Amino acid sequence: MNETFSNFVKEVKAIVGDANATDDRAMCTSYSRDQHWHFVPAKNPACVVRPGNKEEVRAVLMLANKEKIPVVPYSTGINVRGLTIPVHDGSILLDLSRMNRILEINPDMKTATVEPGVTFGMLFDKTKEYNLRPAFPDAPLTVSVLANYYLRGIYQTSATDGHDHTISYEMLLPNGETLKTGSRALSDMPYFRYGVGPDFAGMFCAHPGTCGVVTELTAKLYRLYDNRKGYFIGFDDVGTPTKFIYNLMNDELAASIRLVDNQSWLKGIFGTFDYPYEDLPKFVVCVLVEGVDGIFDAKDNLVREYMNESGGKVLELPAEFARTFEEESLGGAERSCMVFGLKGKGNYHCIGLYGPLTRASEYYEVHEKTALEVGIPDDHIHFYVNPIHGFHGQVSYFELDVFYDGSDAEFGEKLRNYNEKQFHRLLDIGIYGWFRPYAGIIEPTVERIGYLAEVWKKFLHVLDPNEIMNRGKLF
Amino acid sequence: MEPKRKKEVLSAIHHCVKCKLCSISSFHPNAEWLPLCPSGQYYGYQAFYAPGKMEIFRAILEGEITEPSGGLLNSVYACTVCGACYEKCKQITSVELGAPELFEEMRCELAGKGWILDAHKSIAEKIRETKNAYGEKYEYKAESTGGNADVLYYIGCTARYRVPEIADAMLEIFDKLGLKYQVMGEEWCCGSVLFRTGQVEAAKELVAHNIEGIKRSGAKTVVFTCPGCLKTFKKNYPDMGVELVHSTQFLTRLGSMNLKKQDMKAAYHDPCHLGRDLGIYEEPRAVLNEVTNIKAMKREREQAWCCGAGGGVKSAFGDFALWSAAERLKEAKEAGAEALVSACPFCKRNLKEAAKKEELEVYDVVEIVNRCLEG
Repeated sequence: MNETFSNFVKEVKAIVGDANATDDRAMCTSYSRDQHWHFVPAKNPACVVRPGNKEEVRAVLMLANKEKIPVVPYSTGINVRGLTIPVHDGSILLDLSRMNRILEINPDMKTATVEPGVTFGMLFDKTKEYNLRPAFPDAPLTVSVLANYYLRGIYQTSATDGHDHTISYEMLLPNGETLKTGSRALSDMPYFRYGVGPDFAGMFCAHPGTCGVVTELTAKLYRLYDNRKGYFIGFDDVGTPTKFIYNLMNDELAASIRLVDNQSWLKGIFGTFDYPYEDLPKFVVCVLVEGVDGIFDAKDNLVREYMNESGGKVLELPAEFARTFEEESLGGAERSCMVFGLKGKGNYHCIGLYGPLTRASEYYEVHEKTALEVGIPDDHIHFYVNPIHGFHGQVSYFELDVFYDGSDAEFGEKLRNYNEKQFHRLLDIGIYGWFRPYAGIIEPTVERIGYLAEVWKKFLHVLDPNEIMNRGKLF
Repeated sequence: MEPKRKKEVLSAIHHCVKCKLCSISSFHPNAEWLPLCPSGQYYGYQAFYAPGKMEIFRAILEGEITEPSGGLLNSVYACTVCGACYEKCKQITSVELGAPELFEEMRCELAGKGWILDAHKSIAEKIRETKNAYGEKYEYKAESTGGNADVLYYIGCTARYRVPEIADAMLEIFDKLGLKYQVMGEEWCCGSVLFRTGQVEAAKELVAHNIEGIKRSGAKTVVFTCPGCLKTFKKNYPDMGVELVHSTQFLTRLGSMNLKKQDMKAAYHDPCHLGRDLGIYEEPRAVLNEVTNIKAMKREREQAWCCGAGGGVKSAFGDFALWSAAERLKEAKEAGAEALVSACPFCKRNLKEAAKKEELEVYDVVEIVNRCLEG
């Protein structure tokens, strides 16, 4: 370690306390990889810092900015896609897990304000007391609420929740300035997203790296209903159920709608490996209806009508499957993480994207085609679709999945080949956007977006002229 | 490490997807956020959670970490190797990572390089000198009541030198029930702490001595009040052709002991070695249920919160050990218990020490049985 960095570590320790910063090699190594190591190889941060409050964050950021030391914010430690693996040597990792306060649950406003270290499990544990829940991602409930919402809205487990759950947030920039979005900028009421000028809350999300460090975020909460009922309808292909899904979305009938194949996510949704899934139709649409008494009954009747005319087979399954489906969709994903253990293999690869439901069959076909081309066996190819409220543009989240043995380096090579072909093919078919800034995804995308790429780079330069926020090679 | 084993270990490490669900107990159906990993919860850095520790092990095996450091030793040894992470992972994913064994192998690898804590070296030294883990020079007084009895009670270092009330209670139970028993004339430490801290070589002499003594006794059944000793005999010793049982297994086999009912609000704490390591969950509860209705705690059985003493933590990280114990005691109080009963001398010792502030009684199950057994 050079003298400058050594002095930097001393200064950081003076800010956060000796116990909350370390450049110990082993300690830094524990942050060096996530599950995406076949794409983003291990790289140690040079120092890990665990600030306890926003003033400490600010002081560390300003110091790093002065010394032009790259900073990687990290929330609760469940990281995917290499997003918190340092790009540059000599980076510091800002582990924000100590900042885990739920600052406010406001049942009247149906909002929660949280720090970065708050997980979905922690939040729901508290919001349930008010008969409210957050919008859950299909990620372990150990993940950070703030980081998931900040990265790009949120998605799939509930169709009615829609896409944008972030209302406003506070972000500290590398120069130490505080930036507040929405109504938060004008008052102590952080409950409205579009307060001043453009939608800044959206502008700072979904970058490679981050624009700064988000220290608190106010998000929407949703009602919990006592009346709930689950249905499972089997289909032999991806195309046939799209009409059924369209009807449910068009009439706003279902809280959760998930089209999954019978060998992957369905196991997590049902909470068991121990069932003859191969006897079920290849694709299953899982539908969850909820609502207050009269509305629930009306919705339920309509869902059953659409179900009967869907061309699918209504499946009679054990009652506990419906209960697990409810818990996993509207209570946080836990059993769903069984997919990590499909066949005891322990890893997964996915390309998540937004697109119209009308293209579901095309996305599935190209997934299958590319995977087979690069030598991925067909029993490793999986797929799911979740439509998103309000369904303008028939917006749906698609996930092209491959579950595989994480220790198989050769398989990793196949997946890299898959990505290289697939990003281009999906862009050629037409998508609305990517779910995450995956490794290797920015380059083929940016070449298609014209002048927007230039504006994007300039925008980031204004916020982070020294490029310390783990930007990646492109920015 | 042999290349074949190294490949297996690396393969297991690569199977961890780092979801960190191993750090909390089952969330559904009650939607309660309950941490499960004492080490991660106390220290906070990723290095203290199972996924982080695995990453460190990978870096050691792949030659990225070539020197010991304070952070390395702390993150590797400030773990009770309680196995809760592994049980939770297995339950969700069915991926067989084998985390506790993996972490013990990690310690072996470190110890083989001489990367070991002074506190643990000191225990090995005490054992070498006195044949007990506490370096005590006196003998706990216990006499066999039947020179050729079929049952031998292996007392263990902690019950002999730190919580003798457990050994006293077990011996009195034998007497009250009119059962003849042997104790070893020269009982040496079972070596548990050496195996758990990676000092496997130092344990060999102990294993040989204890095997010889037990074989010479002619006993058919060895009874243990210490699950750590029992686990060590079952998993680290060669098969001696004798039955190895925990005190609660031994007592439940006797059928009803006509125990007096107690007006006691008690919760039962599953010791890690007894529960997660040996799968013994029912027998302690069966024994305790004869005396009182057990108050259920939120984290039990496979997902019990560790008392914080095991894996060499008590000797090297005293504050952390007591914090873990205090967390468990709080949980017992929240369950409405006025007493916390365990079935392990090591648990009792640590919980009892922490309980000084918590106004909660702490017992071993054999103490309760002895109290409720007519003499």
